[in-house]
Amino acid sequence: MSLATPSLAPSPLQAQPSRRVRRIALLIIGKYGTLIALAIMMLYFSLASKNTAFLQPNNLLNIVNQSTLTAIIASGLTIVSVAGELDLSVGYNASLAAVLVTGLIANQGLPLALAILVTIAVGALVGVTNGVLVTKVRINAVVATLGVGTILVGLSFGYTAGTPIISLPKAFTGLTLRSFLGIPLPIWYMVVILAVLWVALNRTQLGQRMQASGANRSAARLAGVRVERAQTAAFVIAGVCAAITGILLASVLGSGTVSSADGYLLDAFAAVFLGSATLRDGDFHIVGTLIGVLIVNVGFNGLGILGTPTFYQFVFKGGILIFAVALSTIARKYAKD
Amino acid sequence: MNSLRDDGRPLPFIRISGVSKTFGGVNALTGVSFDIRAGVVHGLVGANGAGKSTLIRCLAGIHQPDSGTIEIDGEPVVIAEPDDASAHGLSFIHQEMSLIPRWDVLRNMALGLPPTTHGKFIDWRPTQARAGEVAHMLGMTFKLSTCVDDLSVAEKWMVLIGRALMRDARLIAMDEPTASLSATEVERLHAVVRMLVARGTAVLFVSHRLDEVSQLCRDVTVFKDGFVTERVVDRPISKAQLVHAIVGRELVIPEHGHEPKTPGQPILEVRHLSDDTIVKDVSFVVHEGEVVGLGGLVGAGRSEVAKIVFGAARAIAGEVFLDGRPIAFRHPSDAVAAGIGFVPEERRAEGVFLDRTIDFNINIAKLGSMITSRWWPLLKVKEGHRRAQRVADLVTIKAKDVGILVENLSGGNQQKVVIARWLLDRPQLLILDEPSRGVDVGARADLYDVIRKLAETGTAVLVISSDNEELVTVCDRVVVMAEGRVTGTLTGPAITVEHIVHRSFAHEGEEALAP
Repeated sequence: MSLATPSLAPSPLQAQPSRRVRRIALLIIGKYGTLIALAIMMLYFSLASKNTAFLQPNNLLNIVNQSTLTAIIASGLTIVSVAGELDLSVGYNASLAAVLVTGLIANQGLPLALAILVTIAVGALVGVTNGVLVTKVRINAVVATLGVGTILVGLSFGYTAGTPIISLPKAFTGLTLRSFLGIPLPIWYMVVILAVLWVALNRTQLGQRMQASGANRSAARLAGVRVERAQTAAFVIAGVCAAITGILLASVLGSGTVSSADGYLLDAFAAVFLGSATLRDGDFHIVGTLIGVLIVNVGFNGLGILGTPTFYQFVFKGGILIFAVALSTIARKYAKD
Repeated sequence: MNSLRDDGRPLPFIRISGVSKTFGGVNALTGVSFDIRAGVVHGLVGANGAGKSTLIRCLAGIHQPDSGTIEIDGEPVVIAEPDDASAHGLSFIHQEMSLIPRWDVLRNMALGLPPTTHGKFIDWRPTQARAGEVAHMLGMTFKLSTCVDDLSVAEKWMVLIGRALMRDARLIAMDEPTASLSATEVERLHAVVRMLVARGTAVLFVSHRLDEVSQLCRDVTVFKDGFVTERVVDRPISKAQLVHAIVGRELVIPEHGHEPKTPGQPILEVRHLSDDTIVKDVSFVVHEGEVVGLGGLVGAGRSEVAKIVFGAARAIAGEVFLDGRPIAFRHPSDAVAAGIGFVPEERRAEGVFLDRTIDFNINIAKLGSMITSRWWPLLKVKEGHRRAQRVADLVTIKAKDVGILVENLSGGNQQKVVIARWLLDRPQLLILDEPSRGVDVGARADLYDVIRKLAETGTAVLVISSDNEELVTVCDRVVVMAEGRVTGTLTGPAITVEHIVHRSFAHEGEEALAP
């Protein structure tokens, strides 16, 4: 076709084949760099671990199982990021859900299903609060969600007086302990939730509107998108995902403990940003986030099997995040020149 | 400053010789030469985009000329940075006021001056004393401790002029200082300007108010399309002569607009519309199948009117009717639902999603018609692809397919994407704000073609443009605005560049000029 876009015809590059090769190489590193890093890590841990303990099916399943909670909370955070905002309250929100669901069962004597529903509703309410503060009152998202998150910490302490809630029914701990078709239930939850969110983001009006709001807020508004609504909906989704994560964590731990899920915030952010550097050019997306979670957990698991001291594992977590995102940023920059 | 040339006449303070500047292949300035004399008000006039601002930016060290020289006191100088301009005593007051909000008058006036210090501590007393003198000279009626947020626009100008005087500026360039001032404030500013030149300061005065220029300025330089078309030194020039120089002698065809046709039903009726910034009592009608232009200068209030109609801004008085029904949209999405499309002025900032595909950019405005059913609200991706391709072909977007990222398209094709968005369903009313800005000549012809064809299908089209030749080419009728008011309506053969310019420069309290 003779009417190809002019910018797609790299006329100055044809004269310099070596530059073109370098450009393509950098493009590949930019899009697949994180995946290559994941593959290299898996290869290294397989060879370095005794009797290839790392590669045993049970260990691989274990890695995925350990990834489920982070993947669920990080997917909610991905939605907010796609819509152009960020949510620092997800970890505290999950912690509140953990004490709330256990408290409702053990102290208030609510039936299991009702307790879970109420807890998810509270998570959604936190999302609405974040959304209204950020989009209507127009408080900076960092300040608003950190403020809301801190209030949630206070509420958690108020509700429990700081004592862990124990003596939970078997049905509750069974939520995460049991398996279906030989695969632990949490993996099923993760697959279902991620699939639903992928469809919501890519195959619904709301998802397209959230993407438009994040891509160019003014253009979205003038194209008839209600940016405030789309972003508030994204905060609600993040709140619900956080609540589900908190409920599942309480089930895994067999208790509702204050601040038990706070640490998920950083893991979720790491995964979301690792994911944005995977397969796409800096866009946030669900599949990328899942890969980001797996990278972090493969590293943690592998280093654990090798018997590396714990502090190295944290250095690794921070380091791999910075390294992967820097790699893709640099590669993209050079690829565009 | 008082050195003499061989022939005994004083050297000009600044001599600009053969300055040219191009931006991405577009000539912004071509061989511009003129002198700026000390103690003289020098007017710079011309249409939007004629090159006045580019020249001022070259003097201010924001742009570098591609060729040509700038001499100060007979010495060639290179103004590489805004700092260099300050060092030469050049001071610039831009339209976007460079005051620091929430700071007081004193600190705003002293901004950028090296402070008197004792060790690590600033001694404000000498600065304060100097600011006091300047304030007295300018006749400031407010205290130096006043917060600048509490000042009127005219008072802010005084603070900025005061800042220039604090550094003993030898040249003060003012970009449209009187654009938003009342009649008495204008008088006050003129008095200050006259006082400045009496002290020997040179003043570079950019204004669209031509009668003001002919009264106040002793020298005038007229710009058109990057060329200097008229240079007036030390002689009076009438407003009519200025208009002639701004429009230029060679007018581009067509000479006048389309023959008026029998209008259909009124689609958009705007009655006595006012907002709280600039729009005052604006009324006009756009009929079915009609292309109506909104002409005038940047800042005349045209975009504001469009944004009110589209629900992106609020009116404080007046009514808007769409197809006979009163409307007052609170959000653009309501306007979209009612069948209005909007192509904004700032294409990259407000029009396109650059890092998204063409079909995403097109379908985003009409997602509702892409879902499978109400009870299964998933988007039909292939259907979206197909319909995006259909409208993309309609506006002749030059791309392999609609899966291409918009950032890989030329400016003209990006603009076509924004227009295509509104062609999915034929809109009742399409508003285009500066549709051909940054669009090359070939794509421009395509755009005009699309606009005319759309009107033939019955859509009412409102085109806002500062390019008067564009209005003549594409419009059935042109409504001209100046300073927030409608100053004239031109139909058929009366639509000429000259008539539009005349009415663009009309302002309050002045009779509209006879064409």
